Amino acid sequence: MLRLEGIEVGYGRVAALRGVSLEVRQGELVSLIGANGAGKSTTLKTISGLMKPSAGSITWDGQPITGLSPREILRRGIAHCPEGRRVFPHLTVRENLAMGALLRHDKAGIAEDLEAMYARFPRLRERAAQAAGTLSGGEQQMLAIARALMSRPRLVMFDEPSLGLAPNLVEQVFEIVQEVRRQGLMVLMVEQNALAALSLCDRAYLLETGRVVRSGTGAELMASSDVREAYLGGRAFAA
Amino acid sequence: MDQALQHLVNGTVLGGTYALLGIGLTLIFGVMRVVNFTHGELYTFGAYMAYGLVALLHVDFFLSLVLATMLGLALGALIELVLLRPMRKADIDSVMLVMIGAALVLQNAGLWAWGGVAKLVPTPFAGTPLVFGPVSVLPLRLFVLGVAATLLLVFWLLLERTRAGIAMRATFQDAETASLMGVRVGWVHTATFAIGSGLAAAAGALLGPVFMVSPAMGDLVGLKAFAIVILGGLGNLPGAVIGGFALGYVEEFGGGFVSSEYRDAFGFLLIILVLAIRPQGLVALKERVG
Repeated sequence: MLRLEGIEVGYGRVAALRGVSLEVRQGELVSLIGANGAGKSTTLKTISGLMKPSAGSITWDGQPITGLSPREILRRGIAHCPEGRRVFPHLTVRENLAMGALLRHDKAGIAEDLEAMYARFPRLRERAAQAAGTLSGGEQQMLAIARALMSRPRLVMFDEPSLGLAPNLVEQVFEIVQEVRRQGLMVLMVEQNALAALSLCDRAYLLETGRVVRSGTGAELMASSDVREAYLGGRAFAA
Repeated sequence: MDQALQHLVNGTVLGGTYALLGIGLTLIFGVMRVVNFTHGELYTFGAYMAYGLVALLHVDFFLSLVLATMLGLALGALIELVLLRPMRKADIDSVMLVMIGAALVLQNAGLWAWGGVAKLVPTPFAGTPLVFGPVSVLPLRLFVLGVAATLLLVFWLLLERTRAGIAMRATFQDAETASLMGVRVGWVHTATFAIGSGLAAAAGALLGPVFMVSPAMGDLVGLKAFAIVILGGLGNLPGAVIGGFALGYVEEFGGGFVSSEYRDAFGFLLIILVLAIRPQGLVALKERVG
């Protein structure tokens, strides 16, 4: 289980997170929703070790992991699939996937997982020797997800996996996210598309200006009037 | 025609060492965003180490080249750890000033240690040229080309075929995401600067015996290294190899057919042309974003 307690993070003197507490329990898919700048990506970056909190604690399976390097966090089974896909544009698709498995040394297991990724994403097999920068946006997103899974994580964090994708691809991405959860992995997802995020998840947290202002099951958040108005466009569309 | 062939051979020999200089510098810029003014000094350092080992300590010539390269690698690692690591978060201008300072210190330390008189590195190669039809080439120069080509090949294999090489290229492209994959970016920086410095020292150790060794020999070479990197496109490795050979040929043909007095000027003329017509460098990176 992942647990954040009272996490505070700043960019210089600007506070980005002002005491965020949240949990991801075994087998759960948890969504973080909120407006731009609410601190969703910062939360993920703090968990994966890219940013150091100035206060608060992060525990993973009861062990403190606050302030560890991204390498140590990944070693403990938490993978971060960053916003904007961030595939390595001049590495081939295969090399990108190899980067995902950088910390592993079980050759047979890596080969097996690579085969599984190619089976799940046939486009990646077709383009295995191609530079990742030449792939379409959707293909790059699939590659980024597959790369994150190549580390055999127990928890995957997806940051805006549907960003900038055509509607049919958005659906595909969400299907993959659900598949990942069905395989028994924990998922923490940041998503701008609040409706999708809330209908997929077990539980969700609503962030506003660096604080958790609401939490509950997806259905509970969807039912709350302020979430409907601010993030699901309830009134605007009804009118 | 015969003369052209001869210049082609000479240009290739020169281009091989220029390519070594260029990939070292472009690698350092690409991975670390550091404009490395010490590059020419590492070249000088390599040449003096070869001189010291061969002429003063009477170490075997070939072993000396290897040792000079290793020492360059070590000096590069030291510069990174002592000067660059504490300045990781500093802006590019401050780092540039520090590197200029380091270059001055290195050059003057060299002058103090070795004196201002140019030195000659003795070699086991015969002074009579090998003749292939219309072309003649000194055995030493052929050896220099062979070693430069081997180093380029080894470096390329290291970068393309090993996990460490893939991790280095990934860091080159996106350091933050590479760190999410478990790459220790700090160590990649140290290794990058050490390898780049080692390649410069190797180039110096190789060319030292061809020319003379003097404390200021790195000035022009450092400038040329920047020229090569700009020719190839900043941070572009294959570009730096092409840029290195392009510079070698331009100098050789310009010097041979136009005026040997202006030999060094032809290279810089080429850079001005490239910057005016094709500022992204001779070789553009292909990439689709989005």
